[in-house]
Amino acid sequence: MAEFLRDFIKVLRASDVRISTAEAIDAMRASTIIGLEDKAMLKVSLSQSLAKSLREKEIFDECYNNFFKEDYMNLSSKKDYENVDTSLENESFDERNNDLEELYNSSDKNSLKTSMALASQEVGLRNIRLFTQTGMFTRKILEFMGLEKLNNDIFQASRDGDNNREEELKEIREKIRLEIRDYVEHQLKLRTSESGRQLREEALSQVRLSQIDKSDFVLMSNIVRKMAKRLIALHSRRKRKANRGMLDVRSTIRVNQEYDGLLFKTLWKRKKVDRPKVITLCDVSGSVANYARFFLMFLYSLTEVLPNIRSFAFSNDAGEVTDLFDTKDIETASAETLLLHGGGSTDYGNSISDLEGFIENDIDRKTTLIILGDGRSNYSDPRTDIMKSLHEKSKRIIFLNPEPKSLWGTGDSEMNRYAPYCHKAKSCSSLADLEKVVDDLLRYAF
Amino acid sequence: MAKAKLSSTKNSKKEIEQIQQSFESEGYICNSQIATAIYLSQNLGKPILVEGPPGVGKTELAKATASWMNKSLIRLQCYEGLDEAKALYEWKYGKQLLYTQVLKDKLNDIISDSKGLESSIESLHNFDDIFFSEKFLEPRPLLKAISDENGAVLLIDEIDKSDDEFEAFLLEILSDYQISIPEIGTVKGKIKPIVFLTSNNTREIGDALKRRCLHLYIPFPDAKLEEQIIISRVPDVDKELRSELVSFVQNLRELDLKKLPSVSETIDWAKSLVLLNVKTLDANLVRETLNILLKFQSDIDAADSEIESITREIKKK
Repeated sequence: MAEFLRDFIKVLRASDVRISTAEAIDAMRASTIIGLEDKAMLKVSLSQSLAKSLREKEIFDECYNNFFKEDYMNLSSKKDYENVDTSLENESFDERNNDLEELYNSSDKNSLKTSMALASQEVGLRNIRLFTQTGMFTRKILEFMGLEKLNNDIFQASRDGDNNREEELKEIREKIRLEIRDYVEHQLKLRTSESGRQLREEALSQVRLSQIDKSDFVLMSNIVRKMAKRLIALHSRRKRKANRGMLDVRSTIRVNQEYDGLLFKTLWKRKKVDRPKVITLCDVSGSVANYARFFLMFLYSLTEVLPNIRSFAFSNDAGEVTDLFDTKDIETASAETLLLHGGGSTDYGNSISDLEGFIENDIDRKTTLIILGDGRSNYSDPRTDIMKSLHEKSKRIIFLNPEPKSLWGTGDSEMNRYAPYCHKAKSCSSLADLEKVVDDLLRYAF
Repeated sequence: MAKAKLSSTKNSKKEIEQIQQSFESEGYICNSQIATAIYLSQNLGKPILVEGPPGVGKTELAKATASWMNKSLIRLQCYEGLDEAKALYEWKYGKQLLYTQVLKDKLNDIISDSKGLESSIESLHNFDDIFFSEKFLEPRPLLKAISDENGAVLLIDEIDKSDDEFEAFLLEILSDYQISIPEIGTVKGKIKPIVFLTSNNTREIGDALKRRCLHLYIPFPDAKLEEQIIISRVPDVDKELRSELVSFVQNLRELDLKKLPSVSETIDWAKSLVLLNVKTLDANLVRETLNILLKFQSDIDAADSEIESITREIKKK
């Protein structure tokens, strides 16, 4: 049973359900208590000890049904109740299944399946990862099930000139091969449907933002969202800030023990203050068209996880998109933002002065301003004076530029003139970069 | 060995059915999933994290378990800012202050025998200090649940409303069933309490906490189960009306509403229909009493147009 459970957990993990060793042990204990007889009950108890959220429960159900579609259950219960140790198992295996022909012709189709499952366990089918391995595993399983004898029989038949028998045996061989192939393909699908996605996600986060295909957009937005969530979770530990008001009797008395109970040193109740204010300004003009979508996506995800955030988008003048982000879903919100503000020629100076108008009353020493854009302003006045005043009023200004640092200041780029007024100006062209920057930002800013 | 296993299986099945039945006699109708969770938690000694939409009986489950096991129910309602002083223990400051006053008066008696500073300190050290002792300890729900002589059912309600810090601090209690009090030491109960945690999922619960719990998701009940619940809670409802109102609520849950009607609201509705002496549902009546089921004006407006068609459909059956 341990074997089958381990295998099942592996399948679950491949499908993106996080299972710790402790949970695996729980599942094992639960299934020992419940037993294997009542499958409905077993499913319930495994689901309770392994899948810990509604989403995971859905995945669990699907995996469970797929996993036990085959006669896996038969196999494992047989193993448990009939022959416990492996040597016994091999013995029974040898004597039962060496004759493929007999196996195929026997009325009991289950025995073929069982022997197939046993054989695949023997050759380590659970390690299959790539579809190119299908052929190899099919062959291995076939061999394990007694291909050699069948081949010999065919050879024998052809030598004896018994054409009918030869054809018949060949047909059996082909049919069994197809069945095993189906089985292997099913297993492959079971084990890799999700882990393939994982690989892809990892690869995607390294790719340059401008190179990402439209078809990857959905997947990408998932990554961004996941990333933003993770970062926020990591850094959402609240800073405690003293708020002198109420006397904290408990700690005061404890601290004043050393003064013989005299209230000598007073301690005050502290109140948690955690409301980082974030204002984001995103360039959606033609020059950053390739990046704009991802910037917006990232901003959107950030909006989902941070409570106090105002978002602005601009090309030649800035407009607020906070409401859009709050009410619409990610696709519509970014599409509408691009429609409303995108496409035009960039004017950083104008946009920044617009922004200042919008946030004049809102910006204070708790505010972090994030600017996403390439800093290319079509030779218009960059209005660094406003940048300077924003720099003075806010807690932090962070400028994320998709261009590499070597290009800053070339052509119409005003990046080098903005950079002095930013607490941080960084180049960030892939998701991994973005993640690093935001991680940094959250650690020190809030 | 095989036989032993088989028999244990049978036993567990029987016991789970028994749990289900005794819950039924307590007035809590549950499916085998819930019963299995209770059984597992008893046998594995693990807390149960109960999730599900509001009003499906998460809190009731703990109450039913307590009265079934004949143990006291200790409830801890979580909220933002809940800290250990309110959840775990608190010192009785007033009495501690008085104690120090008394001690001051008695100080002369204690050190009167000793001569010189050194021996005074010596005798002061030898003096039995009870400033931090269980006498001055005010137990809060968690400490109460753990030190209860007969074992208790501990309900930590709406854990998602509490802070991250509080969650972290629960970890020790939930995995070892013990509490460390720095001044006294570790308090460990004789009998492990049965622990329920409920969550409405307003915030994702940490992995560490989830790992220590069995996870039970209670969805809205299906029509059959909901009817059984109505039978047990509102026995006065006619059979016909009962099936009508249950299928109406079930249909209502299919709509796209802000807050779906919960089981407790179905019960309330059934009660008020009995009070109004209703024998059968019609569209007008439903419209007038809909505010019992739906709690947002926008939901009522949205459902309004569907009422006719739903009632017609129910009648057909």
